[in-house]
Amino acid sequence: MQKLSAERLSAALPRPGLGAYALLLIFGLWLVYAASLAEPNLDKTQSLAMQRYGERAAQTIAAWRQLIEETRALPDNDKVNKVNTFFNRRIQFKSDMEVYHVEDYWATPLEFMGNGAGDCEDFAISKYMTLQMLGITNEHLRLVYVRYKVGNTAPIAHMVLGYYPQPTEEPLILDNLISSVRPASMRSDLTPVFSFNAEGLWVGGAATSSADPTARLSQWRNVLARMREEGL
Amino acid sequence: MSLIKQLWIAIALVMTVAFGGSMIVSILSARHYLEQQLQVKNIDNATALALSLSQLPKDPVMVELQVAAQFDAGHYRFIRITSPKGVTLVERIGVSKLEGAPEWFVKLFPIHTTPGQAQVQDNWIQYGTLTLASQEIYAYKSLWDGTVELLLWFLLGAAITGVVGTLAMRIITRPLGQVVDQAQAIAERRFLTIAEPRTPELRSVARAMNDMVGRLKAMFTEEATRLEALRQKVNRDAVTGLSSRDYFLSHLREALQGDQFGTSGTLVMVRLPDLNELNARLGRQQADALLKDVGTALYESGNGRIGQRAGRVKGAEFAIVCPTFATATEAARDIHERLIQNVLPKWSDRVPDLFHLSAVRYQREQNMGELLSRADETLARAASQGPNTWQAVEDDQAKAALPAEQWRTLLTEAVDGGRLALSFFQVVSGDGNSPLHREGMLRLQTDDKGTLMTAGEFMPMAAQLNLTAPIDLGVVKLAIEHLRTSSGDIAVNLSAETIADHAFRHELTQLLKAYPEVCKRLLFEVPEYGVFRQFDAFRELAGQLKQLGCRVGIEYFGQRFADSSKLADLGLDYIKVHPSYIRGIATNEGNQEFLKGLCNMAHALGITVVALGVENKTDLPLLAALGFDGATGPGIR
Repeated sequence: MQKLSAERLSAALPRPGLGAYALLLIFGLWLVYAASLAEPNLDKTQSLAMQRYGERAAQTIAAWRQLIEETRALPDNDKVNKVNTFFNRRIQFKSDMEVYHVEDYWATPLEFMGNGAGDCEDFAISKYMTLQMLGITNEHLRLVYVRYKVGNTAPIAHMVLGYYPQPTEEPLILDNLISSVRPASMRSDLTPVFSFNAEGLWVGGAATSSADPTARLSQWRNVLARMREEGL
Repeated sequence: MSLIKQLWIAIALVMTVAFGGSMIVSILSARHYLEQQLQVKNIDNATALALSLSQLPKDPVMVELQVAAQFDAGHYRFIRITSPKGVTLVERIGVSKLEGAPEWFVKLFPIHTTPGQAQVQDNWIQYGTLTLASQEIYAYKSLWDGTVELLLWFLLGAAITGVVGTLAMRIITRPLGQVVDQAQAIAERRFLTIAEPRTPELRSVARAMNDMVGRLKAMFTEEATRLEALRQKVNRDAVTGLSSRDYFLSHLREALQGDQFGTSGTLVMVRLPDLNELNARLGRQQADALLKDVGTALYESGNGRIGQRAGRVKGAEFAIVCPTFATATEAARDIHERLIQNVLPKWSDRVPDLFHLSAVRYQREQNMGELLSRADETLARAASQGPNTWQAVEDDQAKAALPAEQWRTLLTEAVDGGRLALSFFQVVSGDGNSPLHREGMLRLQTDDKGTLMTAGEFMPMAAQLNLTAPIDLGVVKLAIEHLRTSSGDIAVNLSAETIADHAFRHELTQLLKAYPEVCKRLLFEVPEYGVFRQFDAFRELAGQLKQLGCRVGIEYFGQRFADSSKLADLGLDYIKVHPSYIRGIATNEGNQEFLKGLCNMAHALGITVVALGVENKTDLPLLAALGFDGATGPGIR
């Protein structure tokens, strides 16, 4: 099913014309430039997925890479929708206890896609990272702890990704519990508690390297550090 | 650079690298730890504050208060909230000056931390970004305190290492020092042997040098034995073992003219019956035995009497020069008694008229022929008195001997009142052309008219009264005075009695230490009989004087030649050969050979040889040819 959808996606690509080639060239140059900045090594990520999780995981990563390439040129709103859809459709929701046999585990995009399953913060993190790779800056993105309550059921702790088209405006919410992206004002079932992103964490260089033992002590810094090792 | 210095530098270098390196590593790791802690604190505090702010209604006063409370109660450099548009909403900045750590240290080891950041939410809307940085001063202070403490430990460690290292070095290098001392001693021609060190490398070196020293000493001993045999053959009478006629007469002349003894003395003559008659009565063998017995008795009479010497002057005629007896009668009595007790009982049955004895006084500068004929006349008078009798003639003009108490007063006053003086005699080089040094002879001014007494006259009395030490010190002081006002080197005599005197030796070295610049020009000489009487004391004194830079020699050398191989490890600078070997050297081929051997041996030991009592300048070429390095005496003055 997933394999099929990947094929369909590539088939849906328009055949490139001359202008497209020029665009591709410019885009390639931009890629080199971006690589020199953040240096994500997606080949490494893909080969790690192959090694660790097998063929299916590698295909998921390949599809994810294709998504990134396809959406790169699109407006931000489309990027947000496509990324949200990609993860919501492809990845199963499973608790950490089921996947990792621990109470709480924050998975990197590789682990998340490799296992093909994860819980709310794993969705939020992978979407956050993907959008960042698509050029959406930190000031537009927040991981938000929320209280989720529908009707008379007991409230549960949940995490979503907020996308702020403008930093001062109301955000769009990327939630794994519903398939579409909706503005916050339409999500009366969610109450925000605290938001964070990676701003300020990457500034210090050596101080935040994965070798720094303190980096392993916080879930958030931990997952960021592991991601770096995995080529993101 | 010496081995020990190099070892020390190596140790210091290793210690500095080890301690310095570990210190830098520990400062850096402490700094890293502090940076980590500050970083974690920044992040956590930012998150905590942002979290609590997110829960609050965003009333500006509330936000301000929240931030102020956190800032005032905590340790922050600043806390700031900026809106998404970049406008600063709240800011608190701490002003604090650096305390507890010096500026340069902060510059040398800066602590880098990044401020912590967290997002403040107003419901779904971004309220702002909170940034805060913790105060770092306390981190610098703790880093500085740690460094100072480490440095103190380092210094303590260095001090302990230094002490232990010094001790270890001392133990390791002690045998090396001994070997080096031995090598230096050999270079100075002092032939020492040392105990073999335990270190194998040094042991073989020490063994080789000890072997070499041993062989050299054996060679010297052999040569000394040969020369002693030669000396005996030349200067001794074969039958009696007393001095030969020539040697005795040379000695007598020295007593009459030299400076060594007093101005007056006694000449004793002993005459046995005619030798031919004795041979006829006893047979040749028995006659020789009789002569030997007499010779032994006469020889023993000189024991303990400095300068007293017996010689066989004619077939059955003996003479004894006695510089130390106060009167002729005393000398005659002493020797007469010895012959009566030790010789006569054995021979009286066969030779009842064994001997006659005469004693006459002599004065300095007296004619020797006249003295001998006067002794002969007196002997004739003794013969007229009957067998085995003696006759003594006192000198009418002799000064009455002073009682001991007056001597004491005279000598003490002389020392205290500065009535001691030195008269100088030139010692020239072997070829007679250039001066070597001047020998300062002690003189005592006895009265205001300036009458001078020679050392030979008053030193025996000074020795009896135990006054030689202050006199010798006085001499050294005079010599130092002369050296400071004139050029050239000066030799002074030390009495045989003083060299064993510890107090004197201490005073002497203290005195010399005060004038280090003259020590190199000062020579000390001790008479041979004094050297061998207290050999260990002399060895010690010579070592002390040489350490101060003075030269040390032996004067009147040659009478105790058999012991001279002992001199090999003294490091002596020179010897002055007894005048009795030098007088008449031109005609005495036996002594020429002896002196040539003596010079060779002395030169092998690095010792300069000076001839005493040279009477004529014409002897100088011969002396130089024999190997003498210098000469002095009436012919030179």
